[in-house]
This record gives sequence, structure tokens and C-alpha cells, in this order.
Amino acid sequence: MQRRTRIAATASAAAVLLALTACGGGDAANEDASTARGDITIWYSNNEFEIEWAKAMVEAWNAENADEQIKGQEIPAGKTSEEVIGAAITAGTAPCLVFNTAPSAVGQFQKQGGLVDLASFEDGTSYIEERSGDSAEQYQAPEGGYFQMPWKANPVMIFYNKDMFAQAGLDPENPALSTFDDFLATSRTLSAAGVAPFAINPSTDSQFFQVGFDFLPTFAAESGGMGLVEDGKAVFADEEGITVANFWKTLYDEGLAGREAVQGDAFADGVAAMSIVGPWAVSVYGDMNWGSVPVPTSSGIAPEETYTFSDAKNVGLYTACKNQATAWDVLKFATSEEQDGQLLELTGQMPLRTNLPDTYPDYFEANPAYTQFGDQASRMVEVPPGSNTVEIMQIVRDTYSKAVISGEGDLEEQFKAAAEKVDALAEEG
Amino acid sequence: MSSETVGRSTGVVTPGGAAGQGSRKRPVLQRIFGKNPLGVLLSTPYLIFLAVVFAYPLIFAVYMSLHDYFFSAPGAVVERPFVGLDNYVAALTDPAVLRSFLNVGVFLIINVPLTVVLSIVLATALDRVIHFRTFLRVSFYVPYVTASVAVVAVWLFMFSGSGLVNTVLGPLAPDPSWLINPLLAMPTIALFVTWKQLGFFILLYLAALQNVPKELYESASADGAGAIRSFFSVTVPGVRPATVLVLILATITGANLFTEPYLLTGGGGPNGASTSPVFIMYQQGIEQGKPGFAAAIGVVLVIVVLIIALLQNRFAGGKED
Amino acid sequence: MSTKRRVPGELTRGQAALRGTVLALGALLFLFPFYYMVIGSFQTTPDTSIAGIFPNPSNITGANYVAINERINLFTGLVNSGIFAGAVVVGTILFGMVTGYALAVLKWRGRGTTFAIVLLVQVVPFQLLMIPLYVMIARDYGLGDTHAGMILPFLINSTAVVIFRQYFLQIPKEMFDAARIDGASELRVLRQVAIPLVKPALVTVILISFIGPWNEFLWPFLITKDSSLQPLAVSLANYMTTIASSTTNPFGSMLAGAVVLAAPIVLLFIWFQRYFVSTDIGSGVKG
Repeated sequence: MQRRTRIAATASAAAVLLALTACGGGDAANEDASTARGDITIWYSNNEFEIEWAKAMVEAWNAENADEQIKGQEIPAGKTSEEVIGAAITAGTAPCLVFNTAPSAVGQFQKQGGLVDLASFEDGTSYIEERSGDSAEQYQAPEGGYFQMPWKANPVMIFYNKDMFAQAGLDPENPALSTFDDFLATSRTLSAAGVAPFAINPSTDSQFFQVGFDFLPTFAAESGGMGLVEDGKAVFADEEGITVANFWKTLYDEGLAGREAVQGDAFADGVAAMSIVGPWAVSVYGDMNWGSVPVPTSSGIAPEETYTFSDAKNVGLYTACKNQATAWDVLKFATSEEQDGQLLELTGQMPLRTNLPDTYPDYFEANPAYTQFGDQASRMVEVPPGSNTVEIMQIVRDTYSKAVISGEGDLEEQFKAAAEKVDALAEEG
Repeated sequence: MSSETVGRSTGVVTPGGAAGQGSRKRPVLQRIFGKNPLGVLLSTPYLIFLAVVFAYPLIFAVYMSLHDYFFSAPGAVVERPFVGLDNYVAALTDPAVLRSFLNVGVFLIINVPLTVVLSIVLATALDRVIHFRTFLRVSFYVPYVTASVAVVAVWLFMFSGSGLVNTVLGPLAPDPSWLINPLLAMPTIALFVTWKQLGFFILLYLAALQNVPKELYESASADGAGAIRSFFSVTVPGVRPATVLVLILATITGANLFTEPYLLTGGGGPNGASTSPVFIMYQQGIEQGKPGFAAAIGVVLVIVVLIIALLQNRFAGGKED
Repeated sequence: MSTKRRVPGELTRGQAALRGTVLALGALLFLFPFYYMVIGSFQTTPDTSIAGIFPNPSNITGANYVAINERINLFTGLVNSGIFAGAVVVGTILFGMVTGYALAVLKWRGRGTTFAIVLLVQVVPFQLLMIPLYVMIARDYGLGDTHAGMILPFLINSTAVVIFRQYFLQIPKEMFDAARIDGASELRVLRQVAIPLVKPALVTVILISFIGPWNEFLWPFLITKDSSLQPLAVSLANYMTTIASSTTNPFGSMLAGAVVLAAPIVLLFIWFQRYFVSTDIGSGVKG
């Protein structure tokens, strides 16, 4: 009896070990995948405008390439898409291309061995750098190579409700929102006039990515184009960072911004007179009477010099893909000037390509509201690169939630402590 | 007197008949598998199922917790060194993790007693009610049968600063409001979960009540016991096995708390006052790519809950064999 | 106390009235959020004032539901949910019952260990197992994008095993002994004595094992990429978390999604309620 149990235990342990090694073990079939052609599967976001674009793109490609058909599927753009992709990488079931790979997840996917280095294609680097110009650099892996194709951005700006501004006796065409002092004064006026419960209401969620919709864009603007981490050092607790954090803290302390989560969209529902988002929101705000301005800075940096956060979504080519040569061609097709124009037309999101306003003059003429975004798209910062991106952003978010949104404890001290933690992580890569 | 009767009916009468009979028929099988070899046969499908879908991931999780692990694509050559108990040390010295265990402690202290008391009382009342029977029962089950995603939206609205609850409370409304108040966020979640899960536990008790022999109530009544007294002397001891079940399941539900801090308090806010160990596992393991650390938290959580469940079984359950 | 010759266990008139009031109030408290959900799902623009609690004819619309219907194939979703949940219910009842019986009534070697394992299974959070499980089912078993892969991890519900065990424990042992003395085999004891007696447990187990897969979002979401295989909960949760926010009335759309998800199971429950819960079972035990 005793012995039998032990044998059984050993046998099952061996089975587990086998399974474990299988999990990390190598099949070298990917060798020829990089030159193979044939049918591929792609995933795209489930936002209705992007679906429209993606379906048209797939149709256009399939009509021309009978031997290399694309099968397109939706994946959600929301909170859970990164874990789905992560799991699919591990199981080897990832598709060829995912049109909506968050830059914050790229470092991890790369570490998992899930992404193909696009620079390994002959024309990879040149194609990316020609299309996106200088901004391509931000999407390069720390050790070189491109594990993502910079695709589209939603440069974050301040939207304001012109009707509410007029109601509060403010100039709806030239609102005073460029310096922190102006912004605060305007917010106080809005609040005193009682046109909306809050002047502005960024999400108070503790999710890591919320960093991109309050602190990061204003910090990028204030610092003249710095991200949270520069050259492997946390810079968000420097003087500019503290100034920006104190600006937001004042908004919360004075009740000009809400500390509580709002269901739905605060701006669209008239809960806040301003919001801080990218151009994707234009379609949501539809027939509202809104205007937009760049994010504020302490000294009121001119709009044409103001930086912001990109909120970019990119395209990844995954190692599980059997026909990578086709996938690369599709990727180039989908980011061609024509397809980028379609994307802009249908979704209002900014393709990460140089000189947008001149490339698509007709569009910006017909949609003057987007001109600012098109221009802003040349001055954007990205999330820190590397496999610890999410952890870094979570640390910043947690610190910000506590010191700024809740206004607890000494702000500067907490930011410095967070910067120290981030330094250690950034060093790890 | 009445509890004595119950003790007899659920008690230890068995050893005689069945066992003696069987041992004469199939001595070999019985020597290997015990008095009723059929038990092995009946449990086999379940055990195979567990081996197929459960054992491997669990052992794998323990393996991960002992390594600097991360998930990788098939074929990728990566290094995942053995780190011993490093992940456990890191997890147990991380203030955020400790906070999350404390939060769940607060949750359990509120949720478990509330659940047990409310569900047994409501089940007893529902059991006897004659009018609007279906309507009443269904009302209590509805929150349980509905997905969390669906009901969270309504709760958010009711418990927000300008929401219905605060409007009704007027000057008594807490400031900061429920879900953003560090002291009230966890109790509000505990309340939400009690509301959400109560139907399930009522259901368990209702079914258990059907097995409390009616004679016990009759004899209690003959002894002059009123409704309240017979509730304590007949009903409560009569559904004792169900109570153990409710205790254990409520504890497990609490320990696996995830959806509520994720959706209701916007990711464990305010400032970590409503995080839970499972939420941190999700953050660390899935979002931040450190499954080894997450697995260590998971293993610790499993051990703690098992200990609690065993204690509950020991103290509330009495003997079973 | 005052009325000496009451039916056993019956309450005094005052107590009964109190009980009725408490139950009614409790029911209202439990139902209100749902009522509010339904009202909100029919509003053209969200009305968050107290007046918004009552239906307002000028603010009623079915547009939120139309929007869902346009975006999601409700029928395929329902069929997939039905297959998923139905298979789980059958597996759970069949295997859960026999395992629960074995654990409660029969004596066999390994029984204690097995029960400890059943408890352990429930204690382990799904988030811990999710990715290894996914890798195993999608890669090793090759069941990605199939109903089987969706069903497999839920096929037997361990909570159901515990519940069955607990109910079998509550049946007085004398009843089994009586059957055994009559010469019934253990299998017949199970079929003819034990199963009829745990009918009240059946409704509970059917319900819990149905609700789990019906509302389960994460697992089917991971395992199926093909939208024609996705259950309703996946498409609706998706709709609620990502798509609803870009509709003209996000709040209304979300609530409408919630109603569509909740309605089938509530209706089903009302239907079950009629067939299964019967107070006569108590007298059967005495039998």
C-alpha cells in the first residue's frame, strides 16, 4: 500500500514536470514562419467605428489576395484585452496581428516571447521610421528593434462645454485655460455659477492606465515633452511633477473636481463642464457644443509647443503566426496612406504618421475641429518602455490617488518615495 | 430535549447493518477500499475530473510561486530561476498585501454573521409563509441569480455621493461618501455581497428546513414552547449541518472577493482600503506580469481559508463520523 | 402562548403580521435595485432625481434595447449560453449527486481525503488557476474555440458536491438502514431512497450550477475568440463595459444590457420554483 502510493505520487510528479517543461519547451517550427505566406487571422477592437474600418480594410485586402485571406475577429478594447492576448501568447493561440495592442503591454508581451521584432523584416525599420518619423523612436524597444508598429494616437486635450462657459459668463471661444492659475480661476467661476456639479471630472479609478488621463498629459506639457521615466530614471517627482500634482490637488481640495467615480461620461452627462480626453470622444460628444484646448501648464506654454500624452494603440505581429510574411504585408497595407486616411475618416483617431494635416488636407478642411488634434499629434509622449511599464504606472497611480485625489499626507514626500521605487524597476528594464 | 432527538436522527447509528452485510459478500474489495467499495466507484468520475482540470493548474501555481516565473510563448527560450521562498517573503512583507488580508478580515467579520443570521431567519419565515410565496422567494433570490456586472451599476448609483441613499439620509450621510470613505468602503462591499449572496444561503436553509422532522415542532409546542423558542430549540439545531455549510461557503466567498473591489470601488479604492488578496493577485499576476508573486499570495490565502474552514467545521459542526 | 391549541409551530396573529411585514419590506429592499435597473433601461435620458424612480411617459423609450439588438446577436448568444449552462447542469447533477452520496452515506477508504480535496478545490481562487488552465485546455487539449473547452472546467461544480453531501447527511440514517435490511443493494438505496429524498436539494443545485456558467464572463471570454461561440454573458458584459459608453445614453444602454442578461434566469427561476419546492417532502422523510 505504502509503496503503491509512493509510486503513484512519483508518476504524477513526473507527468507534471513533463507538462511544465512542455510549457517552456521549444518547437523550432517558427523558423520558416517568417517567410511563409497564406491565410492569417487578425483581431481588432470592438469599438463600432474601428470595426467599420477593419472590415473594409479586410475586404479590400481579400479582394486582391485570393491566396492569402484574412479572417478578422473582434476583441474588446477595454480592460481585459491585454490578459486575453497574454493568455493567447502563452497557449500559442495568438493571431497574426492585433490591431489595438497597448504600448503599456508590449514590454511584457516581448518578454514572453510573443512578439515578432518588425525590424527583422528587411524593410521593417525603414518602413516604420519613414511613416512615423521621429515619434517612432518612442516605440523602439530599450535594446533596439520594433516589437510594435506605431499605429494611431488619441492625443489628450481639454474639452470644454461652450454652453456652460457662456452660461457662467465666460468667453466660450477663447476660454482662459492655458495657465494653471487661469484654469483654476475659470474652474472656480464655473463652480460658483453652478452650471455643473464639477468643473472637470477625470476618472478616480485606481487602474494603472488612468495615469494617462490626468497626471501624465499635464506633466508632459509642463516638462516640455518628458515621460514618467527618462533615460532609466524616474522624473515625475521632479519640480515640474510636483507643480503639476499640486495643481490637480488644488482642484480636488476645492471641490472643483470630483473625488468619486461617476457612472457614464461626466462630460456628456453634464456632470462636469470640462473633460480631459482624446479625439475618439468627439464622436461620443456628437452634437454637444464643445471646444478643445491643449492641457494647461504653469506658465501657459503656447498651444503649438504643448506636449501631451498620446494614448496610442499599436499593432503587434505575434510569434504564433504561421504566415508572417503575409502578416507583414497586411500590416503595411493596413497602415498605408490610403488606409490611414480611411481610419482617420471613420474613427477620428490620428494615425501615427508624419505631418498629418498636410497629408490629409481635405479631411482637416472638412473637420476643422480635428485640426488641433492633428497638430498635437506631432508632440506626444508615451508610457515608459520595458516589461515593468504597468507596475511603474500602477505605482504612480496609487501615489497620485492618495496624495492628490484624496489629498492625504505630504505630497512631495510620497512622490519622491514613489520615484525611488520606480527607479529600481526602471533599472531592471 | 428536542436537540437530543435531532442528535439521534442525524447521529451515529450506522456502523451496524450495511457494513456487516457487505463484508460477508466482497471481502477483498472491502479490504482495499473500505466498507462500501461503491463509494470509490461513485467518486471516481469526480476525482478524474479534478485530476484533469484542477490538479495540474494547482501544482503549477505552487511551482510558479517558487520561481521568478512569467508566462512565455511556446518555443520562447527564457530564464525562470528557482527563488525558493522569496516570493512568499516579498508577499508577506508587502504592506499592500497585508492590507488586503486585513480588509478581507473586516469583510468576513461583517459579512459572515450577517449572512448566517439573516438567511436562517428569512428562510424560516419564508418556509411558513402562505401568501405571495413565490413572489417573496423570488425577490430574495433575484440578486443572487444576476451577474455582478449587471447589479454593480445600480449600486454605484445608489451609494454615490449624490445618490439615493445619501438623499434619503440627508444630514446623516457620511462624508466622504460610502465608496470613497476609507472606513466605509469595505463595510459597504460587505453589505453588497450579503445582499447579493443572501438568496443562495436562504435557498440552502429552505431545503434543509424540509428535513427537520415536523414531530419535533409538535412536541416542542406540546411542551409549551412558542414560535421563538421552538425556532431556537428545534430549527437552529435541526439545520446545523446546513449552518456549517453556510459558514464555510460564506467564508470562501469572502476570501475570493474580486469583482466588487474591481468594479464597485474602482480597483480597491480609496487608496487600497478595499483591496482583496485576489484583486492583488490579479493586478500583480495578470496585469503586471509577476505570476510567481501572485501565486505565493494565492497559496497563503488557500492555507488561511482552509484553516478557518476546518475550525468552523470543528466548532460549529460537531462530529460527523 | 395565549391560544393554547395552535397548530405546532404556528405564530400568533401579531407575530405573523410582523413576519409578513418584515418579509415584505425585505423583499422590497431586495427588489428595488432591479426595479430601478428596469426603469433606467427604458429612459430616454437618465433621470437621477427621486422623480426618476417612477416611470415618466415622456421619458420612455425602447431605444436602448434596439441598440443592443443591433450590436449583438442575441439569439446565438442565448443558444451558446444554453449549451454551456445546460451541459454544466447535467454534469453537475449527475456526478455531484453520486459523489455527494458516496461522501455522506458510504464508508470507504479515502473518503476523508476526498472530502478535504473537495473543500480545497473551492478555496482556491480561480484567478490563480486561470492562465495555467487556459494554456492546458487551449494548447495541450486543443479545445480553444469549442463548446467543450468552455464547459470542461465547470463540468462538475464542487459546491454542488458539498451541498449534496450535506443534504444526504441530514437524511436520518434509519431510512437507509431500513432499505438495506430489506435487501436493497447500495445502488438501489441511492436510486430509490436517497435521490427522492434530496429533491429539495435538486432545485438548489440546478440553480447554482446554472447560474455560475450563465453569468460567467472571464473563462468563456478567454477560451472563445469566435463571436459565434460566445455566450450571452460575454457579449453583454463586453457591451456594458466597452460599447455602451460610446452610445448616446451610456447609462441606459448598460442597464438594458443588465436586464437582458438577468431576465432569462429570473424567468427560469420562477418556473423552477413551481416544480421543485414542495413542503410535502418533509412528510416523505417521516415515511
